[in-house]
Amino acid sequence: MTGLPPLGETQEAPPLDFFSSVAVMAPRGRDETVARQLLAKDGIASISVLSLTQLSELISQHIGAVLITEEALSGADADALALALDAQPSWSDVPFIVLANGTTGSRSERAAQRIDTLSNAVLLSRPLHAEELIRAVRSSLTARGRQHQARRQLEELQLRERQLFESEAKFQAIANSVDQMIWSTLPDGFHDYFNDRWYEFTGVPAGSTDGEGWNGIFHPDDQERAWERWRHSLSTGENYEIEYRLRHRSGDYRWVLGRAQPVLDKDGTILRWYGSCTDIHEIKVAEEQRHLMLGEMNHRVKNTLAMVNVMVSQTLRLADNLRDAQTSLQSRIAMMAQAHDRLIATSWAETRLPEVVDAALAAHRTGEGRFDIEGPDLEVGSKQALAMTMAIHELSTNASKYGSLSAQGGKVRICWAKKDDVFTFTWVETDGPRVSPPTKRGFGSRMIEQALAGYFQGKVELSYDPEGLHFKLSAPGSGLLL
Amino acid sequence: MYSENTSRLAVLVVEDEPLLRMDAVDMIGDAGFKTYEACSADEAMALIRDNNDIGILFTDIDMPGSINGLKLAACIREGWPSVEILIASGVVGVTDEVMPEGSKFYSKPYVTAQIISDMKTIAASEEHSV
Repeated sequence: MTGLPPLGETQEAPPLDFFSSVAVMAPRGRDETVARQLLAKDGIASISVLSLTQLSELISQHIGAVLITEEALSGADADALALALDAQPSWSDVPFIVLANGTTGSRSERAAQRIDTLSNAVLLSRPLHAEELIRAVRSSLTARGRQHQARRQLEELQLRERQLFESEAKFQAIANSVDQMIWSTLPDGFHDYFNDRWYEFTGVPAGSTDGEGWNGIFHPDDQERAWERWRHSLSTGENYEIEYRLRHRSGDYRWVLGRAQPVLDKDGTILRWYGSCTDIHEIKVAEEQRHLMLGEMNHRVKNTLAMVNVMVSQTLRLADNLRDAQTSLQSRIAMMAQAHDRLIATSWAETRLPEVVDAALAAHRTGEGRFDIEGPDLEVGSKQALAMTMAIHELSTNASKYGSLSAQGGKVRICWAKKDDVFTFTWVETDGPRVSPPTKRGFGSRMIEQALAGYFQGKVELSYDPEGLHFKLSAPGSGLLL
Repeated sequence: MYSENTSRLAVLVVEDEPLLRMDAVDMIGDAGFKTYEACSADEAMALIRDNNDIGILFTDIDMPGSINGLKLAACIREGWPSVEILIASGVVGVTDEVMPEGSKFYSKPYVTAQIISDMKTIAASEEHSV
């Protein structure tokens, strides 16, 4: 007999026609041979069973029906059969066709009990009547077929339920593992879902932002704009995208990118809206800083160009000849370039006076230790820094040409201090050639005497002492950072 | 370096940046104009009240003080309608609407010769109209 499962300990699932096969157990006489011949003639598969243990195994595998002689029921391992029947799932009610020993009246109480334990049994009297047997087996197998069908439907339903549960669990896991806040609404915009991140971010109790409650978490200045944009999307079905500030659980408002899109059915009707909020606060803040920085840079570049313009204008205005003018201009522009290198390298926002002095003197240092510098680390504004750099450059250039730096051993002492909110800066030249006032006022001295004081809202003294040039700037402390 | 034909018109230079102010005063002076200088709009208002020879205002826009250069220009147009107004600024996006009617705008850094030439034209027409 092909297609039947091997008996014994195998746990493999039986082939499909096993469920419409009949187990035949008739250990004595010719009953088995006769019955199986009759069944085979009618196209019904059968399995010969030798013990109740073997029968129990077939029952556990959901055999189609059992044809058994009454005396076989009293064999050894009747308990195994009872256990196997008890272990049947709820959909299964194994049909038994019992070949009886005579009539009911002659049956002992024990024998009747054995038949009762089968629960679904019909009795056929012997000798076997072919048509009776076939009809009984057929109706049993038909009923059994219905049971198997019900079982398959039940299993399918269970599978779907499990898949649904797994799908829901998977959704929750995804929705709550992303960094974004995720939400969803009914087609009319009624919020009915927020993921865990939303509640983590906002710190509000679960469910408190359902419906229109979400708008209260927005920055008051952004609420109207966000509503307007959301209403527009709801009425047109267009994707929703907006940046707004959302109240964080800390109480601070943080910039967030809000996005949503509708999910449509096949007719294009909106079924739901799905949306997200992404925290873009850091990006937004960096963007603002970049804007500020660009603005500041633009301001400084323009300021520098204006200064260069003045230097060109002033140098040419007072120059004796173009060659001298060219040299002066180039050295002044080079000084500004160097000052920028040094000043920008420290910080955009603030500049320190020692840096300024150091940068301005860099081009004039010879390594002979002619400069004696002393002063505290004070902060100066960018305009004051540039003006001071220019002034020091002019003083140094003048000193190299006519002053102490033009002679062997000549020195310059540079000192600054801030005392009682008065800032003083002095430049004193010593050990140089005798000094006399210039016959013509160049850009340097005019810049120092007229412009420099203005930058610090202070006053400047420039004296051509025969022993060496003296320069002194005095200004209110506030003048450093105007 | 002084121009031969000196003008009767004085120019009020308003600029908070000391170097730029010094240079503007120098170039306008070199062109033969008498100059007054102010580092803020407030200072400029005081000067124009006290000096009736001022015929041209040459002002920056972005300055510290109670009002900026545009407000100053508007006040002077109102109180001294005969004073011609020249505005110079590095600020971008200054439109005609925000400047008094008939005023001129120069973007900074400016071309000195252009400004001097415009000032001379103004001075010449003033001389004729008197």
